[in-house]
Amino acid sequence: MKKFIVTCLFAAAATIPAWAHHSFAAEFDVTKPVKLEGVVTKMEWINPHSWIHMDVKNPDGTVTSWMIEGGSPNALLRRGFTKLSLPPGSKIVVEGYQAKDGANRANGRDLTFADGKKLFIGSDASEGGPKDKPDEK
Amino acid sequence: MVHRLQITLTALACAAFGASMAGAQELALAAKTAPTPTTTSVPRTPDGHPDLGGYWTNATVIPLERPKDLGNKAFFTPEEAAAYEKAKLADNGPTGKGTYADVHYNMAQFGLEKGQSKVADNIRTSLITDPANGRIPPMTPEGRERNAERAAKNKGHEFDSAENRSLSERCILWPNEGPPMMPVGYNSNLEIVQGAGYVAVMQEMIHDARVIPTDGGSHVPANIREWMGDSRGHWEGDTLVVDTTNFRPETAFHGASENLHVVERFRRVDADTILYSFTVEDPHTWASPWSAEYPMTKVKGPIFEYACHEGNYGMENNLSGARAEEKKLAEKKALEAK
Repeated sequence: MKKFIVTCLFAAAATIPAWAHHSFAAEFDVTKPVKLEGVVTKMEWINPHSWIHMDVKNPDGTVTSWMIEGGSPNALLRRGFTKLSLPPGSKIVVEGYQAKDGANRANGRDLTFADGKKLFIGSDASEGGPKDKPDEK
Repeated sequence: MVHRLQITLTALACAAFGASMAGAQELALAAKTAPTPTTTSVPRTPDGHPDLGGYWTNATVIPLERPKDLGNKAFFTPEEAAAYEKAKLADNGPTGKGTYADVHYNMAQFGLEKGQSKVADNIRTSLITDPANGRIPPMTPEGRERNAERAAKNKGHEFDSAENRSLSERCILWPNEGPPMMPVGYNSNLEIVQGAGYVAVMQEMIHDARVIPTDGGSHVPANIREWMGDSRGHWEGDTLVVDTTNFRPETAFHGASENLHVVERFRRVDADTILYSFTVEDPHTWASPWSAEYPMTKVKGPIFEYACHEGNYGMENNLSGARAEEKKLAEKKALEAK
């Protein structure tokens, strides 16, 4: 029964989140998924979006620089992410979609460190939920 | 196809479930009410008014409008509220690979997930309290026509220039700013500073401060129009009442005209809570006024600067993306013409 209620609530509330500052679909191309492995060269802590700069080594040995669009620095900072969390030289893997104009920019759909950890692991609603956040009490 | 069938079946089953629960809903409504005002113990400023000052969040999982299948059920039972909150907080957005819905960030990774925010307790099924169905009243023919005209004017020109983009993409005004103030997907934080004769409200998204005189004075002349309107406040007992008019037509809160009239009420009900409510009226848009209410809960500061325009690469990228699309289309047409 409980499961059923949740299903109903989900069905009623399921919408595409309008959480971003702009239209992702206008900026990035769904037909150009990318998976990039490389090292961080710089992180720009700018609103409305953070941008991670990374160098990706190509099979022929050349290096291509990419820019990855990330979340709002305010939100990242509030969750405990600092300037030291993604220092230059960090090895990361980014999955996302390339910019529509063909430039070497992508959105950061998923970002994983070399050890498999995700960019940011927040408190999971299923494990206590938001009211247990000690830093906001 | 199978997926679509499942959705249809779920919708049908939910509608039937909603109807069968109607009786129980009325019982729940009688038993559960919004936080009761207990203003005796709240902090006060030297002039005796309740002190609204501090850092607050209006983050919520409750939608502005009630899902239709919940009818006039205004409150969840505690179990339903818990299940609803859990489900909403766990939702990090669509993830279907290769779909436009997937072209976004993983909300859990980029600090935007709602489950990582403090959320005030709320057992309402919608923020809207009036009308009874918890939904925005139907738009008048005039309102529909005005909005359709505006949409038609921009159709096909959405990416012509920066000025064709939304106020939020242009970093001018976010839809949550109001007034009336609404929760937003992330950074739903605000700071209130209260002095003698003034209350200032600054919302993190997107960093506009509203300085409200509380002497009950009159509005600026009608020919002065502002993005966030002209707010004037006065105290009614322990409640700060803020009256706002003089909007610009572009602000268009939920399709409203520049004649939108907003009345907000701020009531500090306990050490950790401000109960915020508002009524909006605009006969040029809706046949009747409508009202909403939600609690704001105290959070640890500070409010971080949201210098939106400073790093707005997205605007340039959207426009260059549109130019690239146009070029591609022109090349395709030229090829077909050969």
